[in-house]
Amino acid sequence: HAALSRRYVLCEVVSEDPRCRQCIEDRALGLAVRDAIARVHGDYGLACCSISFTGAGEAGSPGGAGSLRVRSPVRVSPAVKYLNAYTGTVLLRCRKDSYRLLCSALPFVRYLESRAQRYPCFLNTLHVGGTIRTCQKFLIQYNRTQLLRLLHNCTNEEERQCIQKSLLSCSLTEEQSQSGDEEEDDGTE
Amino acid sequence: RSPAGRGMAAAAFERRVLRRAAEHHYLRVRLELPDGGARPNAAQFKQLVVTALRELHGEVGAALPFDVLTYEEKTLSAILRVISSGLVKLWSALTLLGFYQNRRCAFRVLQTSPFLLALSGNSRELVLD
Repeated sequence: HAALSRRYVLCEVVSEDPRCRQCIEDRALGLAVRDAIARVHGDYGLACCSISFTGAGEAGSPGGAGSLRVRSPVRVSPAVKYLNAYTGTVLLRCRKDSYRLLCSALPFVRYLESRAQRYPCFLNTLHVGGTIRTCQKFLIQYNRTQLLRLLHNCTNEEERQCIQKSLLSCSLTEEQSQSGDEEEDDGTE
Repeated sequence: RSPAGRGMAAAAFERRVLRRAAEHHYLRVRLELPDGGARPNAAQFKQLVVTALRELHGEVGAALPFDVLTYEEKTLSAILRVISSGLVKLWSALTLLGFYQNRRCAFRVLQTSPFLLALSGNSRELVLD
């Protein structure tokens, strides 16, 4: 019997506007990605990737006459699996057969919208993995290199001191429920 | 099976099978507009097919390169040519198109073949005397 394989796409939200960070939330992001897939790949692509930001799956094309929403007993869990508003990291999930549709539609996300405010941004794909664990390992490694790069690009001395202090004060705490910390938190903005 | 006779050197026999070697696929389609309204001209017909592709397959589908080789406005039938990898997208988009300018319509695919010559004869409409 064939197992349902998934692909997890790790991306980061890059924006010039600092207010964009406040609308990095799973609903807004799920909507934006879903719109991009619908525009680029049509009804077929939308159904393939089955991105849903609510609890239930969407049945029926969003643009067709008489949109019928059927609550199926099988719940499709939301496709945005992890969000970090400070670093702008997003983990999206989709089926292995259609991850190419998702990845090719990500460059077409041009703005995030929340509370009637639009902020231009773009999504940078960092990594595509088969499990959440591999994406987590990559993210930890990536954040390490990013911190070092930030340190290198510091312009004045007090920023440098600040970063060095927060780097040295980072520690891994073993949580009871999960093993290990998600990643070393980016203490600086 | 070697076609060699007795006393002659055996000629090498080679058989080559090419699967899906044709670059293009040709479709003979007919648009059915049951209400007797204005008929689309060639440009509007192509725009209709592009719209169908855009609805089902998005912008990527709408950019699929296909050609309308012939179009007859009287019978609303046309011969389309599409790159072989795009046949499924085009055919599925034609199947699921339901409306032309808010009028009910349907595409009927009469013949399809990787060779244009095959579209000249249709054994379904053959009249046997």
